[in-house]
Amino acid sequence: MVRVTGNFQSESTLHPKAFDVLHAAFDNGWADPAKLSQSGAKARQLKNNALESISTSLSVEVDSILPVSPTSLGYFLGVQGLFLDSSTLIHGATDRKDVFAVAAKIPHHVLKSALNGRFIPTDVATKNLVLALQIANAETGVIQECDAIIASTQSERIFLDATTSGIRVPLPDQFSTALFDSKSWYGPAELGILIVKKHSHWSNPLPHINAAHPNFDVSLPLLLASAVALENFSTEVEGANTQARTFNQNLRSKFSQVSDADIAGSLDTSLAHMLSVSFLNCNGEELLRAIESDGYSVDSGSACTADNLQPSHVLSAMGVLTHGNIRLTIHPGTTQADIDGLSASVIKNVNALRQ
Amino acid sequence: MKEIDARGLRCPQPIIELGKEVSFMQAGDQVMLHSDDPATEPDLVAWSRMTGNVFDKKSQDSFVITKLSVR
Repeated sequence: MVRVTGNFQSESTLHPKAFDVLHAAFDNGWADPAKLSQSGAKARQLKNNALESISTSLSVEVDSILPVSPTSLGYFLGVQGLFLDSSTLIHGATDRKDVFAVAAKIPHHVLKSALNGRFIPTDVATKNLVLALQIANAETGVIQECDAIIASTQSERIFLDATTSGIRVPLPDQFSTALFDSKSWYGPAELGILIVKKHSHWSNPLPHINAAHPNFDVSLPLLLASAVALENFSTEVEGANTQARTFNQNLRSKFSQVSDADIAGSLDTSLAHMLSVSFLNCNGEELLRAIESDGYSVDSGSACTADNLQPSHVLSAMGVLTHGNIRLTIHPGTTQADIDGLSASVIKNVNALRQ
Repeated sequence: MKEIDARGLRCPQPIIELGKEVSFMQAGDQVMLHSDDPATEPDLVAWSRMTGNVFDKKSQDSFVITKLSVR
């Protein structure tokens, strides 16, 4: 078996600086920050330092930060917490399933997607709209025209899904709540950072006794590691985007020379480090396994690779081919040799599978 | 009209079977595709755009495809 040397999956290893502090974080941050003990005070200080650091890196107020775990809980808190009895939710057809799960239990309207992955603004003649808007798509990297969507819905209560865009795309000025995923800056997985910008718009939707004290929290050591990862990635993100854009353009150029390749979204309107491409008449699972056997790990949105055998709802909503799909994430540290090897493997295996 | 029974086949097989049949058809010819795979309908949308043909959904698992292009 060929050793996998090129990781193009959405998941990645921890930021090295975060990895370095993890041991010390567990050593010093084990106590409950809420307790009055000496160790509790130390943990409290560490937590405050982490929140201050996150606040600076994300350019948000410290008291707006609510760390949550798992990240998916943040969707419920961020969207449902904006709801009034008479509210209607409006969200996009390519949103994460977590948003669909919240929408399933409340009145909602879905924004359709154009072929380029951007939502088609629509007039919804309803008062008390809550808008759930993804900044960038988790499968294709397509960046939404947030200001235009916000203006078209005229919603005052806005949840922003920044889990994929992270710090690669600035938050629009107008929002009530926003959710980040620590993974987006190479921090620990399953740690979300919920921002409650407008406390007057939000109430904790979980059963609780004291509204002043959220009844959800995260592991302090993981929060510390996330803060360190974020602080460091903040200084690296511009270079990472520049490098990824060059590699992404290179891959798109090579794949577009393959007959019947369907690339989702354009690089100009997408995150630089993400690419989704489908090849007509190819089996996604076989393609993924063949590429893996050449030493490259990739993701896929094809039905044959999904647990429920359903095609990607993102590609379906866009009208992009769902079979023969691979999704690539270009991480910092990726080399030109990785890109050349991956593109050669993809093209070779697509041609082989089509015969 | 010729019919392709792809029920029970999983993606991308129904679209591959369709592509083979369409390659022998003339512009204006039609073929009925039966498929119960959940990926078939969204893939017909993309396939039609990519190949320049059109389809019409007749029932939950039946589609009539009309060849328009010379591909």
